[in-house]
Amino acid sequence: MSLVPPLAVFDGENLGHGDHVVLSEVHLTFHPGERIALLGASGAGKSTLLSALRQRLGKQAAWCPQHHGLVPELAVYHNIYMGRLEQHSGLANLWNLLRPLAAPWQDIATLCQLLGLEGLMKRPVGQLSGGQRQRVAIGRALYQQRSVFLGDEPVASVDPHQAVELLQVIHERHQGCVIALHQHRLALTHFDRVWGLDKGRVVLDAPSTELSLDTLDALYPSAGAATKTTMDIEQTAPWPQDSLPCPRGQA
Amino acid sequence: MAATPISELALQDHPPRLLAGKSPGMRLARHTLTLIALALLVLPFADLHVLSRAPWGELGRIAQGLVLPHFGSVESPLSAIGLTVAVALWGTLAGMIMGFPLALVFSRSRFVRAGCAFVRAIHELFWALLFLQVFGLSALTALAALAIPYAGIFAKVYAEILEQTPTAARDALPEGTGRLSRFVYTELPLAFAQLAAYTRYRFECALRSSVLLGFVGLPTLGYQLESAFREGRYFEAGAVMWLFYLLIASLPWWAHRRLVPLLALSSLFLLGPWPDIDASLVWRFVSQDIWPQPLLAGDINGLIDWLREIPELLPVIANTLLLGLLGSVGALLVALTLWPLASHHFGNRLTQVAGKGLLIFLRSTPELMLAFVFLLLLGPSLLPAWLALALHNGALIAFLVARHADNLKLDMVGLPASGKLGYQLLPRVYPGMLALLYYRAEVILRESAILGMLGIATLGYVIDDYFQTLMFDVAFLLLLITAGLNILVDAGARRLRPKGIQPS
Repeated sequence: MSLVPPLAVFDGENLGHGDHVVLSEVHLTFHPGERIALLGASGAGKSTLLSALRQRLGKQAAWCPQHHGLVPELAVYHNIYMGRLEQHSGLANLWNLLRPLAAPWQDIATLCQLLGLEGLMKRPVGQLSGGQRQRVAIGRALYQQRSVFLGDEPVASVDPHQAVELLQVIHERHQGCVIALHQHRLALTHFDRVWGLDKGRVVLDAPSTELSLDTLDALYPSAGAATKTTMDIEQTAPWPQDSLPCPRGQA
Repeated sequence: MAATPISELALQDHPPRLLAGKSPGMRLARHTLTLIALALLVLPFADLHVLSRAPWGELGRIAQGLVLPHFGSVESPLSAIGLTVAVALWGTLAGMIMGFPLALVFSRSRFVRAGCAFVRAIHELFWALLFLQVFGLSALTALAALAIPYAGIFAKVYAEILEQTPTAARDALPEGTGRLSRFVYTELPLAFAQLAAYTRYRFECALRSSVLLGFVGLPTLGYQLESAFREGRYFEAGAVMWLFYLLIASLPWWAHRRLVPLLALSSLFLLGPWPDIDASLVWRFVSQDIWPQPLLAGDINGLIDWLREIPELLPVIANTLLLGLLGSVGALLVALTLWPLASHHFGNRLTQVAGKGLLIFLRSTPELMLAFVFLLLLGPSLLPAWLALALHNGALIAFLVARHADNLKLDMVGLPASGKLGYQLLPRVYPGMLALLYYRAEVILRESAILGMLGIATLGYVIDDYFQTLMFDVAFLLLLITAGLNILVDAGARRLRPKGIQPS
């Protein structure tokens, strides 16, 4: 297709941790500039494939892990700063904990504005909502300023409208990405290609223009349904009804 | 299997025999009964005589002293409280400063692990006896006695806490991040709340230990307590006890996080007296006094003679182990009996408050203090020591178990108390209770040894004796034996502990 060499090629390899194979016989090629959506039920091997890609791409790839991997005790500023921890000396990093360095503070303030986190830079991440944490995790990956973005469900806990906004920011700032998600519609509208996994195998590798929503829903009936129900629950009941704040209240 | 006729299945399906079966509940029940049987088996070897003629009258007078304390008769209570707090605070801080760097290399250095196990295995009071010989009755003796074992404890516990921090944040860091940066940005903030909570708990322990240092002559609260009790001034003893309980109960207010720096600085002036350190004397103690002369001279035959001159040690070692086993089993039985009293699943509001109060009272009173009182009542046999160990440790375990049970929500409502206990709660809390007991076994053995200082025939008795007769070489050997015993029991408890249970 293109004359530029691919970023990563899997040529019938088995992927996993140690001796334990999670994904077998993977045939996939990741070309520069490609925006790839990674679909699959939980446990299908998405995280394994992403961490293998992260290992291959090394310093080219920014990384946004599943469940964020943030430090709740530290402020938003420090969590985003962690994206470039390796570029400063240990002492500078230590000092930055006590008094934020001027240049990173400016950069991160701009980034926070872009992500809708303005005014929250000094707040501990533990006090943020799920959606805000998601943005901090994306902010940390953006702050790395790498050419490729790898994300393990980075837009899982925001509403569809915000997800679109965040994906646009990610696309603008990177030449290509591989992003795991379960919103089928987004996979078709905002990505060039779709990789699909099922039970430890690659079952789909096609341009998004050749796919339809019905094909994807047929492939992953439970994933679509599951997202829907979670969101329904979140809208109707913000907390489980049976857990009273005071356990003695029931006795 | 599918082809088996139903009648045949019904024939095979008779109920299991008593205590048979592989379920965790039956396994733990058999384990517990074996422990109790073992304790009953060794019971005849323990000296449990009541040697006092009128224990009840004495108990009445002590109770009267507790109910009607006479605060006016306590001599300079403020300076005793001040010194108690200052020693506890600076002992903990010094232990923390030494223990924290050790925690960072703990998992990688066998040498550090062994060193920490050794200093932990010797009780604070034994360290105090040792330092007393070099630094006299001074603040330095008190601080070193707390700081050294605490450094070993902090190193181990901090290392465990840091090891258990979630790795997600660390894995998300860009590659090439230095070790210092990784530590201060991920591991330390993630573990900080737990590290602080454990340090707080240790400070509470340090307060108790600081009081106990009074028993070897340092002028903390324990000094007044011991002399008042010994001379039968129970109204004064009662007043000191109340001061101690108030000090512990008001801990959340006066030892607030924000007040600690101020408290540390101001209590620095309360520490004292400071000793005149004669370096040559210290060196002589370390290099000569605590080692047997024949060993230093390289005289093997002399060393054998030296060992022969030490009177029989086996009885005191056996007594220490016996007391450790009886104390552990006793603590288990006490915990099993007492925990429902403090749980909100049983009784009414009044019994719950009273039960919780009783547990806090027993848990806050150090074993040595309990044993001291029981000793006055019952005379110097193993009985007062056993009671003290069982009650204090049992109450401590019961308190934690009750808290665990209170966090559980019962699915079935309207069960009678026995059903709730037997079918709903005990199966869930018992594994944790047993795990706590096995963790505690090491502490119980350390206490068994130290209780000898009160005149009970365990290792502490002979150690105290040799220090008093200035035979430091024998005393030091005995300290080494005590530490070795403790490390062995700790390793044994770890092995014997039923697999797959965690304290909760």
